[in-house]
Amino acid sequence: MQLKILQEIIKKKKNKSEFAIITNLESGNSEIFELGKTISKDFEKYSEKINDFYKNKKNGVIEDSNIFVETYIRPIKVIIVGAVHIAQYLIDYAKSLNFEITVIDPRGYFATKQRFPEMEIINKWPDEAFEKIKTDSSTALIALTHDPKIDDPAIQHALKKKFYYIGALGSKKTHSNRCERLKEAGFNMNEINSIHGPIGIKLGGKSAPEIALSIISQLVAETYKK
Amino acid sequence: MKNSFDEKILEEANDWVKANQKVVLATVIQTWGSSPRPTGSRMIVNENGDFSGSVSGGCVESAVVRECIGIIKENKLFKKIEFKVSNESAWEVGLACGGEIAVYLEQVN
Repeated sequence: MQLKILQEIIKKKKNKSEFAIITNLESGNSEIFELGKTISKDFEKYSEKINDFYKNKKNGVIEDSNIFVETYIRPIKVIIVGAVHIAQYLIDYAKSLNFEITVIDPRGYFATKQRFPEMEIINKWPDEAFEKIKTDSSTALIALTHDPKIDDPAIQHALKKKFYYIGALGSKKTHSNRCERLKEAGFNMNEINSIHGPIGIKLGGKSAPEIALSIISQLVAETYKK
Repeated sequence: MKNSFDEKILEEANDWVKANQKVVLATVIQTWGSSPRPTGSRMIVNENGDFSGSVSGGCVESAVVRECIGIIKENKLFKKIEFKVSNESAWEVGLACGGEIAVYLEQVN
């Protein structure tokens, strides 16, 4: 692979593009495939098949050919509400996974550079913060404050935008109160039951890194169900 | 979601190149049977035999490293190699799990 292609791939990954690397195993040539872009003569004959691999996010050698296709998916956007202790560990775990994390916390004493040296925390209320974040059904929400006035608006936004994963920290009691409030706000039972609360899979641990692990495990599992 | 999470091996390859190392990418391009790692899994190898990432569960990495050093020495750009079920009677490299994989080696140039 040419160094300039390698560096182009890294750039595209950084810019969160969706693309594929196509390699002619016979000539050794490789290039980047993107929807709507023309491909070189080396690959032209297989453009339809390459498109199929790309659409299905499949990796492999096209049948009866020497063309290898490797697809890249965009990182998954995860919004964390609450710049709390658990959030610090979630950010650590997310580094080795394909998650792009944004943390929102209106409380200035939580959202400090000292606590989160590697990232910018959005120091705003969820409603205001979401005005500037593009979200859709491939976004996930992790609500960690268990304070209704911070978590609830974020959960409501996530339900309206049909996030594929919504998890909310809090005991069973906290969660049942939360469900009541959402019911009063006009959400139906299907929507309310789609929330993972109490958040995370059962691991048994109670420390912040253990809870973060249980949350990230659930998030990965739900991502593969998507 | 069908595709696995990215392992950021290519980023590491670029760092190695920047440090003036010769780098070979080794990518699993085909699998048959119960191969330990899926198509698209990758490792990188430099001229000293340092490596990062994986193409199996530790079964064939040493052979891949040797092959990669080989293509750097011969100044070849690419090569395809295959690994099959290991032969019980010999300590040869193979997949103990009974799978088969094809690995494509390509030098970053």
